[in-house]
Order: sequence, then structure tokens, then C-alpha cells
Amino acid sequence: MGKSKNYEVPLDMTPMIDCVFQLMIFFIVTFKLDADMIDEKIVLAKAPNGPAIEQKIPGTVIVEVTNRGFFKIGGAVMNDETLYRMIKQAANRIGSNNIQILLRADSKARHVYVKRALDACTRAGVWRIQFAAMKKKAS
Amino acid sequence: MGKAKGEEPKLDMTPMIDCVFQLLIFFIISLKPEDIIAHLDVNRPQADSRAKPDTKLDLIQVGVFTDGFTLNDRNVSYTTMESMMTRLAALSKTQTVVIKCALESPHSRLIEVLNLCSKVGLKNLSVMSM
Repeated sequence: MGKSKNYEVPLDMTPMIDCVFQLMIFFIVTFKLDADMIDEKIVLAKAPNGPAIEQKIPGTVIVEVTNRGFFKIGGAVMNDETLYRMIKQAANRIGSNNIQILLRADSKARHVYVKRALDACTRAGVWRIQFAAMKKKAS
Repeated sequence: MGKAKGEEPKLDMTPMIDCVFQLLIFFIISLKPEDIIAHLDVNRPQADSRAKPDTKLDLIQVGVFTDGFTLNDRNVSYTTMESMMTRLAALSKTQTVVIKCALESPHSRLIEVLNLCSKVGLKNLSVMSM
């Protein structure tokens, strides 16, 4: 009984390192860039006959319009003037002919809010506009 | 030594099964089917003071209101508009559709019209507000 007190228990680090690697892989795989941030609360209107967005087209700026009339780009809420400036800056950077606005407006948003976003686009010299709609909801 | 030769080395399967289960759980949790989003392309009409008034007849005017639709200034239901636009699109797909939206109309109504235009194959679309 006296002898057993002096025994040292070796600490096995292998399971801990395993877990750390698993967590690292999990976070690397699930990490998303903030640039793609979209408001998940926006409910898109249904358009089963519209062409599907296959992949993100370079030069596309996503403008969101909530049902209360707030404008968002990359998760940041802004007013009409800031929206216009942001689109203008993007148009200068990407080029007026290459820029495209994808308008994600809530199905319940009144047209007056959408009009304000469209006006900001036209003021900035952007004429090509796409409306996002729900083609098929994930089951 | 003689005994050692007779013993078969045991293959411990536990770590492999552990890993397989971990991967299985990871993929089950991270698997999330994504919604398919459609894009409905429109043009904004540009103001041009030099332009002459358009006298061409190949122009379809759709009005979007809170309580219904108009097609070339006539009140129509969605089903009537669908059948009429199908017939108009059969004549020519290059016709311009001018969609005039009332400010108080919900955005879903505009999408309904854009969806219909996409269904019948009309691609020259213009959105205006009134």
C-alpha cells in the first residue's frame, strides 16, 4: 500500500490533440467570409420560373431591403444617401458597365422602399438590376 | 521467444471506428440543403430629353397595384393576365414590357409579374414607379 503512493500517472495527450485537430478542421470548413453576409430574416417572394443563380457573378453587389424599409449591404444598415455613395463607389471601382445590383427585397416590403433603392442605383449610373426571388426552398 | 512467434498481433479497430463516427456526425450536422435563388433581370428606363415619344405598338404595359393588376390600362386578374401575356409573347418575345408599380403595392406583386414574364419568355423588362 505504501509503494502505490509513489507511482506517477503518465498523462496521455493524444485524445486532447485529436480533439483540437477535429475542432480546427470543423472551424476551417465552416468559416465564411463576412462579404457574403446576408440577412436570413428577409423572406423572398416566390418565382419558380425565374432562372437560378448558378454561381456568384463577379461585380455583383447585393443590396437588401427589409420589410420595414431598411437598406443593407454586407449586413450594414444604411440610409438612402449612404446606399447611393456605396453603389457609386462600387461602380467606380468595378466599372459602370460591369457592375450589377442584386436586390434582395422582402416580399412584404412596400414598393416605395424598393423604389428608393432603385433610385439610388440609377443616380449612381447603374441600370442593370436583378431582383432576387425564391426559386425552390430547401426541404 | 517460442511463445512470441505463435501469438498473432491484434489489430485495434477502436480508433478507426472513433474517427469514422466523428466524421459521420460532422457531415450529418454540417449538411444543410441550400435554397435555390432565382434572378429576375430588369432595366431601369433612362431619361433622354432628345428621345421622341415612342409610337411603336409593341409595348406591353402592366400596372401593379395593391389589389390587382392592369394590362394595357385594363383591370385584369392574374390568370387573365397570364393567358393574355402568353398570347402576346407568342407573337414576339422581343416586346418591351413596362411594369408600373404603385408605391404602396407589396414587392411580392412585382415579383409575380416578373415571374410571369420569365415564364412566357419576355426578357425586355422595364420597371417604373407611379
